[in-house]
Amino acid sequence: MEYLGLVFNKSNDMTMKNFKYIYWAGVLVITLLTTNVVTAQDAAVKRTSPASIERLKAGSLWMDTYNGAGLVLDNLSYYSDLKFAYGYKNGDYKLNSDGERERAITVSSEGGLKFGGGYIWGSFSYVNEAQRNTLFNTTMLDFDRRMPYYTVDKNLSDFLKQSYNLAMKVASKPLWDKVILGAQAEYRTKVGAKQMDPRSETYVYSINVKPSAVVIMGNHRIGINFEYQNLVQESTTTNSDTQVNQDVFVLRGLGNGYEATVGGLQSLGMFVYKGNQVGGGLQYSYLMDEYRFLLSGNYIYGMEDVISSPSKPKKEGTVKTQEIEAKLVAIKDGDNLQRLELSYADSKLDGIEYVQQLDNTYEVQRWVVLYKSIRSDYKEQIASFKYDFFRGADKNYKWRAGVLAQYKKNDDIYYIPRSTEMVENFFIGINGKYSFGLGKKSNLLVGANFVYKDNLDGHYNYGGAKPDSYIITDFMTPDFEYMTNSYSMFGGDVSYVTSISKNGRTSLFVKAAVDYYKPVDWDSDRIQSTFTLGFTF
Amino acid sequence: MKNKIKIFMVFLWAFAGLTACDQFDDNAHTKKVEPVRSVIVLDLQLGDAPTPSEFNVKLINYNERYEINKTMSSDGMLTVDDVIPGIYTITVSAEMNEHGFTYNYSGSVVNTEIIRSGVRQVVKVESSKAGNLVLKEVFYCGSKTPSGGSYFRDQFYEIYNNSETVQNVKGLCIAIINPLTATANLPVWAGEDADKYVYALQIWQVPTNQDYPLNPGESIIIAQMADNHQKSTLNPNSPVNLITAEFETLVNTSSIISDNPAINMIMAFWPSPTPQWLTTVFGGAFVIYFPSQPIVPANYVTPVGSTTKCYKIPISEVVDALELVGNVNQMNLKRMPTVLDAGAATVGGTYNGKSVARKVKETVNGRVILYDTNNSTNDFEVMDTPMIRRYGAKAPSWNTWD
Repeated sequence: MEYLGLVFNKSNDMTMKNFKYIYWAGVLVITLLTTNVVTAQDAAVKRTSPASIERLKAGSLWMDTYNGAGLVLDNLSYYSDLKFAYGYKNGDYKLNSDGERERAITVSSEGGLKFGGGYIWGSFSYVNEAQRNTLFNTTMLDFDRRMPYYTVDKNLSDFLKQSYNLAMKVASKPLWDKVILGAQAEYRTKVGAKQMDPRSETYVYSINVKPSAVVIMGNHRIGINFEYQNLVQESTTTNSDTQVNQDVFVLRGLGNGYEATVGGLQSLGMFVYKGNQVGGGLQYSYLMDEYRFLLSGNYIYGMEDVISSPSKPKKEGTVKTQEIEAKLVAIKDGDNLQRLELSYADSKLDGIEYVQQLDNTYEVQRWVVLYKSIRSDYKEQIASFKYDFFRGADKNYKWRAGVLAQYKKNDDIYYIPRSTEMVENFFIGINGKYSFGLGKKSNLLVGANFVYKDNLDGHYNYGGAKPDSYIITDFMTPDFEYMTNSYSMFGGDVSYVTSISKNGRTSLFVKAAVDYYKPVDWDSDRIQSTFTLGFTF
Repeated sequence: MKNKIKIFMVFLWAFAGLTACDQFDDNAHTKKVEPVRSVIVLDLQLGDAPTPSEFNVKLINYNERYEINKTMSSDGMLTVDDVIPGIYTITVSAEMNEHGFTYNYSGSVVNTEIIRSGVRQVVKVESSKAGNLVLKEVFYCGSKTPSGGSYFRDQFYEIYNNSETVQNVKGLCIAIINPLTATANLPVWAGEDADKYVYALQIWQVPTNQDYPLNPGESIIIAQMADNHQKSTLNPNSPVNLITAEFETLVNTSSIISDNPAINMIMAFWPSPTPQWLTTVFGGAFVIYFPSQPIVPANYVTPVGSTTKCYKIPISEVVDALELVGNVNQMNLKRMPTVLDAGAATVGGTYNGKSVARKVKETVNGRVILYDTNNSTNDFEVMDTPMIRRYGAKAPSWNTWD
């Protein structure tokens, strides 16, 4: 909590203004979504609960697409929720950069409502995280974007993080009964501070907008969306003990990189990441009696530059991203709800590095790029199958069951000197939930799930300098062994839901969930538990 | 108002789009890396020295932590394939014994770009006889006190007679050159012959009032403060006791600094002296030389665009040189001309109580001969505990307080 005070007392006025803006925007979203809107048009008041929200989303074709305009076609009813969650993770079965113990406090809200013939959806979340005893991560807050150029060190350290996410989707009413216009937008911002020398402060934000449109032609619907995303990250490193310099390593991919120092005259400078991404997608939907189909495809192209020491910028690298994604969703309505999803995603990141020289002439005094080339490639393929069955056509299901299967392959190469890493995994899982009635107003929702990860293949061959350095022996190799380890995951959750409003619509729920990961070949394990208090409206 | 908002939004998205287009254009057509072929050609400027049959060639890419070692004949051309495109330091070296002398051959091209195949890299190679006097051991980084503080008064420089003849160190100078620490921002010097000099920030000189003979196998110690640094009033954690040092660079006495038994050196050039001659604990670049002309401090020079006063030292007068850097990542930040020192040495940190010492090449009739290839990277090694007169070096007979 002290760190929250430090964040809000930080001298960066612009950052403070952004955070305060986001905070009050989030409060506004929560207020709007948690108020019974007069214009809501549901015919009969039925209890909203976590189960009903699950079912509502499962019955939506367009909710998970990048086309906000299509939301109005799902004829979704009003819903919203407000959740307060405490999450805890513990165990040694993890990547080096994960904490041995992690806790997260989350406040989130989400909801949608019909408005003027259209549909509006919004969500807000605030997460405060503390990771204890992380290793080999000095400056990176989100590894999802798979950026290869960042700094690591070998000192055990805590990491404190805070993030705000704001998202919205809006769809107009059908214009001339033919055309729907819509948009999606998402704003994410995160700050983090490493607690041990070499310390770091990292700030990252991204904004993503997707304007969209859908054309209705009888039972056929054709959608199109465009996408633009902008991302900025700034990372600074310092020492609290200025008498002792700290060794760090700046990664360039697959264990390659260079040694640097934090502290002293040649201390590592600030790293600035700037990314832009454009893309677009097409959707085709067809309705046939109880069946609804949606086929969608999406393409993204992006660039992210990394520079150090902005006052005399030196290029650390550039990542060029290309992603394609295709998905087929089939929903059968009726007495029960059934949902089938097939998806495939393929992404390729090119790591571009530069040969630069410092031009020392008095008039120039800057780094000049002499040559650049693609030095590394990172490919990822994910194919997924998912089937869910919801028993009962009512707002709240009686029980649900599902199966999922996923194939995932990562194939990375650093061209010269040649290093390769390939990891191929297959996941299979089953899940189910049952709702036990506890009188008219309450119920107990009990769920269980099991996932087995089978490692099909993997190899890591490092051909760069110093193969016996700690980067290879203590960082890359153990992380590779984690990624290629098969495991079983057993999970369960229990939710107690009760109606708390006179009209029976609003519910209070308390949920406890736990997931236990047990690797096949390791003695260690990992447990993740979450306790949630929430309201649904 | 609505129109203004619309116009603003259009401009905002146009700006965002243009920014993205700029970034995409810069890198959209970047190709996959391909190794290149480098061609090395020698420009031999050996004077009267004999020509060796073979040279050792090293291509070092400090950024990639990568090096290629080859050999080439003196009359040929070397083609090196599969070179990663980048910035390289190419060093050429050889050693030859003839007529009782040891000749060192060295040349280098520092921070040259190898990014296209077939571009010739011409390396000028010069020769020198192995130095009679060499910097044998240097302790520059300081040590920690028992309370964890930083102690810097125990710096010392040991100069050794590496030859088989008596050397007189009367008038010998030790200088630290500009720039003070390893940096990519090198000063620019005026004059067409600027590369024939090194430029000193400070110079201390052995007094010229008498002879100071040094027999083969003997060494002199120049101390910042020739005291017993391990005594309780200084730093019990210091690794050295310098009370027997031959010379000290005394500026002024104080409550801590005494005028010790060692002979006081002459402050030959130091425009702005501080209470003690503390050289940078991050590693300076040093030369020892015999000036052919008296040192006149008023005859200083300054780099282009700077007011820092420096003194020109002809490279031809330099007896030995040593370049020190803060850590291994700075090995390519060369400030010493490569003909004097083609490499660099480092203890890798500050106040860690370590020194750099020249390696032993051989022992002949009980006399230790140290490596002297004019390349500190190869000639020096890190010592965890500094030691004066390592390997049995003796003090000169005129040191009566040893």
